[in-house]
Formats: sequence, C-alpha cells, structure tokens
Amino acid sequence: MNITENAKNIIDNCRFCWMCRHVCPIGNATGQERNTARARAFAVSMVVRGSTELSEVADNMYECSLCGACTNNCMTGFDPKVFVEETKTELVLGGLIPDYIRALLEKYMACGNVYGAEVSDEVKALYREDGDVLFLAGTDAVLKAPETVGVALALLEKAGVKAAFTKEQDTGYALKFLTGKTEETRKAAIAFAAVLNKYKTAVVYDPADLAMLLHEYKEWGIEIKAELISFNEYLLSLIEDKKLAVKKGDTVYTLQDHFAYARELDDTESGRKLIEAVGTSRDMLLCGKEANLAGHLIMAEYMPEVIKNVALDRWQNAINMDCKTVVTENPAEYVFLKETCPDGCRVLSVEEMLLENM
Amino acid sequence: MNDFLFTQILTELEDAVGRENCSVKEIDRATHSADFFWLSRMWVDRGRRMPEADFIVAPANAEETSKVLKIANYYKIPVTTWGGGGGSQGGALPVAGGILLDTKRMNKIYEVNTEGMYIECGTGAIYKHIEWAANEKGYATMHYPSSLTCSTVGGFLAHRGIGVVSNKYGKIDDMVLQMEVVLPNGDIIYTSATPKHAAGPDLNQIFIGSEGTLGVITKAQIRIYEQPEVRRFRGFLFKDMTSAFRASREVLQKFKPSVMRLYDEAETASLIKKIVGVSKPGAFMNIAYEGVKELVDVEEKILLETFAKYGAEDLGSEYGEKWWKEKITFFYPGHMMDIPQMFGTMDTIAPYDKIEKIYWAMKEAIETKYPYAKFIAHFSHWYEWGAMMYDRFIIDGEHVPQDPVEAMRLHNEIWTLGIRTALANGGVVNDHHGVGIKLGRMMKEQYGPAMQVFEGLKKTLDPNGIMNPYKLGL
Repeated sequence: MNITENAKNIIDNCRFCWMCRHVCPIGNATGQERNTARARAFAVSMVVRGSTELSEVADNMYECSLCGACTNNCMTGFDPKVFVEETKTELVLGGLIPDYIRALLEKYMACGNVYGAEVSDEVKALYREDGDVLFLAGTDAVLKAPETVGVALALLEKAGVKAAFTKEQDTGYALKFLTGKTEETRKAAIAFAAVLNKYKTAVVYDPADLAMLLHEYKEWGIEIKAELISFNEYLLSLIEDKKLAVKKGDTVYTLQDHFAYARELDDTESGRKLIEAVGTSRDMLLCGKEANLAGHLIMAEYMPEVIKNVALDRWQNAINMDCKTVVTENPAEYVFLKETCPDGCRVLSVEEMLLENM
Repeated sequence: MNDFLFTQILTELEDAVGRENCSVKEIDRATHSADFFWLSRMWVDRGRRMPEADFIVAPANAEETSKVLKIANYYKIPVTTWGGGGGSQGGALPVAGGILLDTKRMNKIYEVNTEGMYIECGTGAIYKHIEWAANEKGYATMHYPSSLTCSTVGGFLAHRGIGVVSNKYGKIDDMVLQMEVVLPNGDIIYTSATPKHAAGPDLNQIFIGSEGTLGVITKAQIRIYEQPEVRRFRGFLFKDMTSAFRASREVLQKFKPSVMRLYDEAETASLIKKIVGVSKPGAFMNIAYEGVKELVDVEEKILLETFAKYGAEDLGSEYGEKWWKEKITFFYPGHMMDIPQMFGTMDTIAPYDKIEKIYWAMKEAIETKYPYAKFIAHFSHWYEWGAMMYDRFIIDGEHVPQDPVEAMRLHNEIWTLGIRTALANGGVVNDHHGVGIKLGRMMKEQYGPAMQVFEGLKKTLDPNGIMNPYKLGL
C-alpha cells in the first residue's frame, strides 16, 4: 500500500486509541464500531501489514465525513483525516472504490457534479458576469439548497452590492472528498482558479469551499489572485459599514458551527457576531472548535439514513439546551436540519436570519 | 460450521435485530477482534489475525438482546458482549468465535431525573454522553476514568470500573440504582428498585463485574450529583511513600477528598515530571477536595495541618490544577506506553497494613526476575481502610520478542508472577480493570473454594456455557 510515512505514523498511533470516539458524528449516529478513527486506523494498519486486503476497508473510508472532530479532540495532534484521504486515493488508483462511489464519479464526469443534477431555471436567472465582487455559492448550495442562493444574493443587493454570480461553482471539493488529492482534483482546481482570478474579490458562501481554496490550492501551488472572504465576514463588514441595516431584537439564536469554519478556517466568531448583531446567541453542546456535523450532501447520496440521524442527533443537542432557532453556515447542514426540524423549532441560514431583522 | 447452518443462523439473527444490524463483513469482524489488551494489540501488530466472531450483532434493546440469546442458546454458540472495546483485560475479545453482541445501539438516554438524582440509559451509551446529558441539566456523573470518552456505561459496569474522583463519589458499583439484565436464557429481569435494602443479597452486585458471563446488562439507572460549588487542588511532595500513606489514612478518618493520587518516586521522576512539571525527588501527591465552600474551607485546614505533620512539602494548587486539565492527556498516543513496548497495569487493592508491602514485594519480584523491566506505581483510589495501587511494568521494545508466541509467553509469565506476589501479600487479582481472559487463571488462586459460588451461578444461569467463554476464570 502506497501511503506516506506521515499517514503510517498516524495509523500506528490511532489504531489502538479510542479517545475521540465520543465526538464522531457518524459513529454516534450509527453506533457502529467501525465508525471510529480507531477502527479505521486499525483496518488500514492491517492492510499495511498484509493481513487484509485494501478492498475490505473501502466502504469504511467513505463512511468518514472528514469533519475533523477526531483531529480536534486529539491531545497529541494526530489527524486521522490524512490516512483516510490517502487510502481513498489508493482505492481510486487501484480501481477498488465501491460501486456507489463509482456511480457518483460517473455522474460528475457526465454532469459536472456528483448529484447528476441540473441547475434550476430560478438559479440560472440569477447569473451575471459583472459585479463588484464574485459571489461563489458553491455546487452544494446551487444544486441542493438553491433557495439559499437567491436569499443570499437578495441580501447583498439590499446592501447595495453588485455581485457577480456565474455558472462555474465547482472548487473541486467533491472530487477531493471522493478521490483525495488526485491529479483529477488538482486539474479541477486549476480550472476553477482561472475563473476566480477574473475577479478582485470573491465572497465564498460555503466554508467547505473556502477551506479548499485556502488550503489545498495553496498546497498545490495554484495561485489565486482574487481576495477571498468568507460570507460571514463579508456580511459583518457590510453591517459595520452600515450598508446592511439590521436591527437587534430579542430572538435567541443558536449557531450550528460548521466544521470548516470552526476548525479549518479557525473562525468560531463570525457567525456569533452576526447573531449578536440581530439577537442573542445561545450555544448548544459541541460548539465552536468542537463543532459537530449536522449534514453532508455527498454522503447523503449513499448513506441517507445515517446523515438524517446525524442531523437528528444535532437537534437533540439543541433541544437539550432549549435552543429553538438554529442558524446554519453551510448549505448541507441547512438542508438536513430543515428536513429533520422538530415541531416548535426552526432553521435559518445566516442570510435568512439577517433578513428577518432588517 | 457449514455454510448452510451458518446462513440459517444468520437469517435468524437478522430477524431478531434487523438485517442492517447484523454483519458478517470482514471489516466488522476484524475491528471487533482486538481491544486495549496488550496481547491482542501485539498479535495484530505482528501481522497476525486475532480470533474473530462469526456474527456481529447489534440489538437495540433488551427484547432484541433476548432474541439473540435464545438463538445462541438453541444453537449453543458463544456470545461475547462488546461495549466500547477499550478494556485492557481482553474481556470483550470473541476468542471462541460465535456472536459478538455490540451494545452501542442501546445508547438511548431515557431520562435525566433530577428528583431521583439518576440518569436512566441504555448500557451502550458512551459514558461521556451521559456526562454531557447530566451537565446540560447542571449536574455531573462524577465518574471520570481515563476511558470516559471511549467506553460505554455497560463496559464500566461489566468490569467494575472506577473514576478519578472515586474517593468522594464512589466506584461504578456505588453509582447504580436499578439495572435491566437479560439472562442467558433470554429472560429479562430487573434488579431491586434501590441498591440499599434488606430484600436479600444485592442482585446488582452479582451482575456488576460479571464481564458478560452471566447475562447482558441492557439498561441502568446511574447516579448524578450536584456540581461542587468549589473544587480545589493541592500538590504535595512527601519524602517517601510511608509518610504519605500515614498522612492519607489520617485525613480519610476525618473527611473524603475527591481526588487522591500518590505517585511513587519512579513515576514522580518520569510521568509526573513530563506532564505536570514536578522535578524534585520524592513522592508527589495530588489532592482535590470539593463541595460547599464553607465545608471545603474546613477540609483544607484539616488537610494542610495533617500533611504538614507528616513532613509533606506544600506545592500549592498549580500542579493539581495542571494535572486536572491534563488528566486524560496521559492516555493519548505519544504520552502513553505503546507497542513496541510491553506493558501492563497490575492494579490491586489492600488495607493500609498491607498495601505498601505489596508494592515493594511486586517491585522486587518483577525487577529482580526481569531486570530490564521498569516497575512504577501510583495509588489513586483511597478508603478509610486502605488504598489501591496502580502499578505498571514497562519493558522497552528491544527486550520484547518479535515472535508473537514468545512475546505472549513472556507477557503471561510476568503477569503470573506479579499477581501471585500481590495475592501472597494480601492483595487481589484486580482493582478496577477486571479479569477478562488475561487474569482468568488467577481467579481460583485468589478465591480457592469460594470460586464455587461463581461457578454455581454460572452453571445455573448459563448451563450451556455460551456467555463470554474463557473469561473471569469461568
């Protein structure tokens, strides 16, 4: 098995350590022993030692959301995501990916996205090439939560921002999730960088895309000339500059921290500042750096029930702390928290929250 | 087993728990084949496969568990119960194959009852999750072992676990009200509604510590406690362990600190120096005392006066607070012993008149016969009458045979010597990690004819001997 020494070191350290089990959103939703960083490391260590075949661990690698809760929990600093990603790449190169992953990749080749979905006419109607900034909604929002795109653009318009919004939305995140850091992912990234570089500033809606642009592109040496700013930060700047006139009310909002903001972008504050601009913030369990996943669109294509249960678990956290209005920062979590929203509770995206307080 | 019969049993198990909760996949069989037991880790490290269960079955509740046990009894196939898999004694290893019953689907937290001061939960709940549930209501479980985040409620009950604030709040066997248990024949029973009564012997204590050999605990009511108003720490350095034992015994006649951890000179100079930063020679002791502020003020006065009488150097609160923050860090990779080292924790417990003697006898026995072995210890759970010793042997990789059979031989020899020495000097087979397959052979040596009580229970409740074979010496 051709994986890096770094990955092997992580595997050998994680294979008998259960300390992060309690924070794995997938393991908590399934109760399956294999859905732990320990079990994944253990299984891959067996492949490395020749006591099982690589194909035997394939499904298990795709049951990891790469949310990094385990990484954040590790007191020593081991990052199980590293060996999961590298093992996925090995599976791809060895032609050993599960059929349901192959099907997603075939859709990607055919349609440009893993969902095999078409952009709706409503979203297409929002396309415009020119603008002060580029609004990058990302593939997930455009295809799976198109209503958030319309609301986000409407909010920007209210602030007097002319935002370009184009048909190119794929940062390469989905390919990276499914295949790891392969040549195909890199090529997708290079192609997307060319789109970005037509603009001075890009406002990135989905933190998973922003993390990809800031980290993986940099790792590959792909130059991004455009200034990248997260949607949250951009909204905060509009509020600060008085371009977005929001009113503070007495509603209590609870932020569903997205892992990419909290852990990959080191931003646990922007969402809370937005809440404080219009209401009061109340945290639930597993917030900030300890953010717990509440939805994953790609994984829902092949394990929908588990992802639904992940969202239900998150609702349980909210209910336990009497948090009735949950605010999301990412389209996947918006979709799944909405789908599972209990009676008496509601889900808002950050832009929806601001709009109801203008 | 032939394919036909195998498939027949599989379909019956699938009918009992649902097809998606019954697996024969290699990934599931393999990941349930090794736990925290050094021998299982070494075995797979050497590229060998541990014995695997044939069926991995995850029931959702007592009713489904009952169905599984009835099937197992009919076909006379072994059942090994698995919680988090974090045990160090091999108690959850399916060494005889058959069914591996994973409890983690039984993870429901039914109720946080702040009037009755307990949480009712399925025993597959991760303990940290019930701690969170208690915290969300302003309470705490006060069960904080190093495996808090990885082990289940059932796992702690099965082997009589303990946490770091046990001195004040008790061991897991002190923390349970009522339990639901599925007997090997599939009957679902409930223990007494309260743990204190005169309605005969305590059923709870028959099943707590039985390591899955007498049935499956499926639900439990676990005590919760008010969060302390204050929790204070104080580090001390004793010139030797004898004075520390005397001082601690005297304190414990007056009040119960929550944390009491005394480290021998070797552990003070290694682990404590590395993690907490104490660099002076001697025996480091960390004490925490907590509760209502006025009472804690009085306790602090008693503690300082008593320890001063025995010559303890008061190191202030800094080391204790650092230890509290880092108490789990010790157990993460890179801080903890790991393969290629060979190591083991031979925790035992005895009254004050014997415990220090046991320490020196075990240290001498192991370090004399195995001069390349390091023997270190701390004493971390204390009572008015005695204390437990958390003693470890550590052998660096260059002295550990590469051949797994030879490594197992050396490992088991050291364990036999250590535990025999503990027993000969008034100790017990184990304090809080349990027995498992690792120490089953020592049970008869400790209990002698008293073992027939356990054997009688086993024979009556599990006449086909299907429940967790080769564990607990049964």
